[in-house]
Amino acid sequence: MAISPGSGPETTTNDDRPETDSETDDGAETDGRTGAGDETEAEGGAGAEPSADTRAESEGGLESETAPAAETGTRSARADGTLVWPARYVREHLVHSGVLLFLALYPGIYTLLVNSPLRSELLAVLPEIETMVAVFYFGLFAMSFDFISGYTGYLDFGHAVFYGIGAYVVLLVATGKVPLLPAETPFVLVLVLAGLLAVVFAVLIGAVSFRLTGVYFAMITLGFGQVVYVFVRGWDYVGSNPRDGIAVSERSGFEIGVPFVDSLDLAIGQLTGDELSVLAIELSTTEVSYYMVGLVVVICYFAMQRIIHSPFGRVMIAIRENEQRAAAIGYNTFRYKLGAFAISGFFAAIAGGLFAGFRRTATPDNAFFFLVTGDALLAAIIGGFGTLAGPLYGRLFDEGVREFLSKAGEGGGLLPYLREHLSEAVLGTELLGGMTVQGAIETFLNGHASLYIGALFVLFVLFVPDGLLGTIRARLGGPVGKCLPDRAGEYVPERFERYWKGLER
Amino acid sequence: MLRTRGLTREFGGLTAVDSVDFDLDPGELCSLIGPNGAGKTTFFDLLTGVLSPSAGTIELRRDGEWSDVTDASPHEAANLGLHRSYQITNVFPTSTVLENVRVAAQAAGNDSLRVWRNAGSFDSHIEEAHGILNRVGLKRKAGVTARNLSHGEKRQLEVAIALAGDPDVLLLDEPNAGVSSESVDEIIALIEDVATDHAVLLVEHNMEVVMNVSDRIVVLNQGAVIADDRPEGVRDDPAVQEAYLGGYEPGAGAAASDDAADPEGSVASESSGRSNTPEGEA
Repeated sequence: MAISPGSGPETTTNDDRPETDSETDDGAETDGRTGAGDETEAEGGAGAEPSADTRAESEGGLESETAPAAETGTRSARADGTLVWPARYVREHLVHSGVLLFLALYPGIYTLLVNSPLRSELLAVLPEIETMVAVFYFGLFAMSFDFISGYTGYLDFGHAVFYGIGAYVVLLVATGKVPLLPAETPFVLVLVLAGLLAVVFAVLIGAVSFRLTGVYFAMITLGFGQVVYVFVRGWDYVGSNPRDGIAVSERSGFEIGVPFVDSLDLAIGQLTGDELSVLAIELSTTEVSYYMVGLVVVICYFAMQRIIHSPFGRVMIAIRENEQRAAAIGYNTFRYKLGAFAISGFFAAIAGGLFAGFRRTATPDNAFFFLVTGDALLAAIIGGFGTLAGPLYGRLFDEGVREFLSKAGEGGGLLPYLREHLSEAVLGTELLGGMTVQGAIETFLNGHASLYIGALFVLFVLFVPDGLLGTIRARLGGPVGKCLPDRAGEYVPERFERYWKGLER
Repeated sequence: MLRTRGLTREFGGLTAVDSVDFDLDPGELCSLIGPNGAGKTTFFDLLTGVLSPSAGTIELRRDGEWSDVTDASPHEAANLGLHRSYQITNVFPTSTVLENVRVAAQAAGNDSLRVWRNAGSFDSHIEEAHGILNRVGLKRKAGVTARNLSHGEKRQLEVAIALAGDPDVLLLDEPNAGVSSESVDEIIALIEDVATDHAVLLVEHNMEVVMNVSDRIVVLNQGAVIADDRPEGVRDDPAVQEAYLGGYEPGAGAAASDDAADPEGSVASESSGRSNTPEGEA
């Protein structure tokens, strides 16, 4: 993890953002930690403050974002020569900060919008905050799946093992069932421990599985996944009825932040989480969870992105592209695959831990079952395979559609919206063969979200095989963070042009 | 530099490589020829650890000492300084040309285990890659995605990847395969160029090329060495003529007998219409 000053140019960036200038290369991790502290203040303000928070996070990104440069980067830096490193960082920053800023502001935006005159329409369309928390932790799991499957080309159908390990370690510790670890062990430490346990499992499973390739690899990992699933389902150590999983009732909320420092961490969870009021803005437990879970996910994302763009990550891509040649130029592909698998397992366990920490319960069926991996695959394909960030958007899309089509009243959605807005007369109108509008709505919408998701998935695979992010990348000709500012430059109005150009100098 | 003793590989009842004793001296450009199915590619696979021999040994001279590399796996062979190119283009298709060579340059040394620094900050790999691209004549294609190269350029890239990491021994498996006749000269120049600072073992079907560039020619037939001599000697060897050349006359463009029956037709057709037919050469 030691970062030598060699990656220097990055530190000299940001003429437009003096606060971040002092950031050195070691930023990423410490940032995240202290960011947690900063954030508690930052979250509050709907306006300027959250941007500070985003900034804290995106500083971590600063160096990770050597990243997009990497894929096509080194070449263009040399080829056109006009864009020097620092300027590119600022410009690559724009997109990432934009996304982070939007996410940081989302709870505020959501609250504002659902109190606006368009209330019921927006309530139907926008994912609610609680859904977003689920998008975050499951998105992280999907990203870790993409990390191994999208970047080395090995489809791991047993990835839920690591997610389940993360969830179960957190819950077992919290119920005091793990020797030596008291129930109140700081959540962040437990997350890391769960990650390390997942690494051990990844090495064991990988050592056997990576002797196979292609569909055989997928099959054997699926086999391992099912073995673990069946074991956990019958493991009566966790409780009298292991199929019901574990639920935590005693322990206080799982806190994310600096371990052992009460003022620097915040608990997540809907009932047990902390509330926070900053500058006259009240954050509910769900909103606090949103920020804290989001923070961990962002840190994990940047860590994975950094690995992808490191020499190690390049070897992973080389293995995906042509494993035979990768071996022929001197890479022990087995070890690299195993390493990538372990890293991927680590982050999958973090995701599982966040899931368990937020929900305070997990069952074999929603943590270890192979369909959990299936959901990650779905998210990865919708978002874009081999794009790392894509699966998060894929999950957002997936959850968004699900919520829109679900019948649940509290999350909004199409069904309650129609019920509310269509008059009795319309609802009673007969359509065909005695079926009223009301009846048609019930028949076609109620409880069929999965059906439509399935159809969407088919359409995606057929018509958008690269996924959301992958397609945008293909259109732009490279990673969005790098290409969008370049494209945007073409549309900058003339009188602003010199400022834009100034970024290039 | 490299030597084999009694190297044998059997596939069931078929002996693809039959107790071959072969020596490659430092700085030498040796060609390996033989009719189709003579075992040339199998021989390469044995040398690079893709296949393991049924019998015999392979030794590599490093720092003045012979070390046994018979059981080396492909990546070990590569790390010991034995690099190869492939008869059928075998590159990283969706990476850029530069990245193809850069990742190969990165394979030497331990930098590949660095997970926390950006690959772009290891200047030595990038410089090495640019140097190699200059050398093989792909300088202006550095930013192109490999699969978008023309066939001839892919052949150049194929050699470029093998060159990265400064190997001691280069095994070139038909670098000319499927290359149009106009581009053959470029590839020949490239072969001669890399032979100046590497020991090169070349498999080649184009007799014109073989006779011109080689210091020495080894002829395989049915897995066994039937001749090992300077080009002139091989040309006049009746056993070779019998087995392989089929009445080759220098200058007459009569590499025909060989090329017409080229088994690498698959490669030639891949280049869609461009092939090194004798007419093209004459």
